[in-house]
Amino acid sequence: MTRHNRILLSCVYWAFVAYVFIPLILMVMMGFKDSKFIGFPIKSWTLDWYTGVMGDAETLTAFGYSVAIAVLSTVVSILVGTWIAVLLEGRSFWGRAAIFGMTVLPALIPGIISAIAFRIYARLLGIEPGMGAIIWSHAVHNVPFVVLVVMARLSTLPKSQIEAARDLGADPLIAFLRITFPYLVPAIMGASIFCLLLSFDDFVRSFFLGGYEPTLPVLIFAKLKSGMSPEINAIATVALILTALIGVWAERFTRRMNKD
Amino acid sequence: MTYEATARKDSAAPASERTFWGRLSGWGPYMALATFVTASPRRQFLLLAIFPVLWVLTQHVGPMLQMLRVSLTDAYPVAPGVEQHLTIEHYLKFFQDQLFWQPFFRTLSFATVFTFCTLLLTYPVAYFLARHVSPKNRMLLLLLLLIPFWVGEIVRTFAIMILLGNTGAVNLVLKWLGLIDRPIPFMYTSFSMGVGIVYLTALYMLLPLYSALEKLPKSYNEAAADLGAGAWTRFRRVTLPLTLEGISSGCTLVFLISTGFYATPVLLGGPSTTVFAETIGGFFHVAGDQWPTGAAFAIIMFVAALLLTASFQKIMTLLRKGDTR
Repeated sequence: MTRHNRILLSCVYWAFVAYVFIPLILMVMMGFKDSKFIGFPIKSWTLDWYTGVMGDAETLTAFGYSVAIAVLSTVVSILVGTWIAVLLEGRSFWGRAAIFGMTVLPALIPGIISAIAFRIYARLLGIEPGMGAIIWSHAVHNVPFVVLVVMARLSTLPKSQIEAARDLGADPLIAFLRITFPYLVPAIMGASIFCLLLSFDDFVRSFFLGGYEPTLPVLIFAKLKSGMSPEINAIATVALILTALIGVWAERFTRRMNKD
Repeated sequence: MTYEATARKDSAAPASERTFWGRLSGWGPYMALATFVTASPRRQFLLLAIFPVLWVLTQHVGPMLQMLRVSLTDAYPVAPGVEQHLTIEHYLKFFQDQLFWQPFFRTLSFATVFTFCTLLLTYPVAYFLARHVSPKNRMLLLLLLLIPFWVGEIVRTFAIMILLGNTGAVNLVLKWLGLIDRPIPFMYTSFSMGVGIVYLTALYMLLPLYSALEKLPKSYNEAAADLGAGAWTRFRRVTLPLTLEGISSGCTLVFLISTGFYATPVLLGGPSTTVFAETIGGFFHVAGDQWPTGAAFAIIMFVAALLLTASFQKIMTLLRKGDTR
């Protein structure tokens, strides 16, 4: 009975693997199709779409724009998120639960609602739609994830190390910079990669807060709406390989961190 | 300066000045800063707390409050010299037009159905990983599933379009098997939208289920088996009740996420499957004068989603309590 169950369940697992991989594999294959029309069967193959994309200024600009937004918003998220985590972890004070609740709020708001709330607030703050507005919205949206990751790491820091540093004459600032911060570095690295990917992949905030310059997901969306061609597959494949590689590397990195 | 000279200078200096940190703590401006910061535990705490508190209030709560305020004003942006009035007319608009409340209820019912489908799809997968795989391989098999989920929303939506299109892979296979003569129009229906949304959210269900199942000791099932419970009874009376917490957090997460999708319904859905996100988004494409209505609709959706998930969690808690009797 158990044996049957096991075989049945492993079939379900591999069917699920197929379900999550096959659409992506098909999408990658379609980028090599030697025809303007997306669709099966693929009769002959070509690399033209890729060479076309590599020389396409619009795509390259959008790519650079997305990377710049991802990096800058991640820097802000990490600074703010680490600060909030240091305040919240291991301290009890009046209003702590309320601050924690407000901290995780942006992660719980459904995408479209968060995007338009940011759009309205950007006007109040006087931020014009464009790169600055996108960076700001991504930074705020990603702070909760940084706080949660850094807090988890901080909770495992032995208190005795800080006390030892203080006994040896370090003031709280130096104790933070020399003991706490180095201990947090792996968590901060992990959170950074997570934020980079969230920002790079984000569509809804970039769409509603963007100006005329599209980010890569917004560009792909616009191209999809105006008609499909294997060119989009080539662009999407490049984005896919990049994000998947960073994701896998981050996964290995955090696993090594947890082993230490 | 030669190496010896440097070394001599270093050893001549007091111990605290040798390193970067020693020099820093002896540096005048830094000392002033440190004394200012650490003058009292109270001041130290205030300096630590003031920035995070201001940040969460202005950046996390601020946008929602401003959206609420805009939704209650009669005109936004305010024209110079015109007085602003509070009104609930934008909320009333929602009930007046079928074009508004139909997508709203469609979104909620779709999200419920898709959440349930995700649960049915991922529970066996999580069960297999947690109960039938050795801990060594478990991480590897889980990682394999994580890879596609690093890929962005738009790219994965596009992948589903290629899968389900009229000249897509599914139709090709069906034709090749001789099951159909002409392609089945999967695309631009609630079916294609469902496949897309389940595809995008499956991981958020899988991870809570997996961690709930992993925590469950195998001995419980063995004990139930010793007492004569069959496989189905063991699942229904032991495994399922003890993983309700994972089910409840996974469902909440997936429900909230799937109500918020904008691009996926636009690309995969059709005219008959307009969701509320598209309705809300529509008010922000045209010139700004419709913002209050859009804001009001967003508030309605947020409150409805929160109420639904909160009551769902309440029911799940009651179920859990009922089972531990």
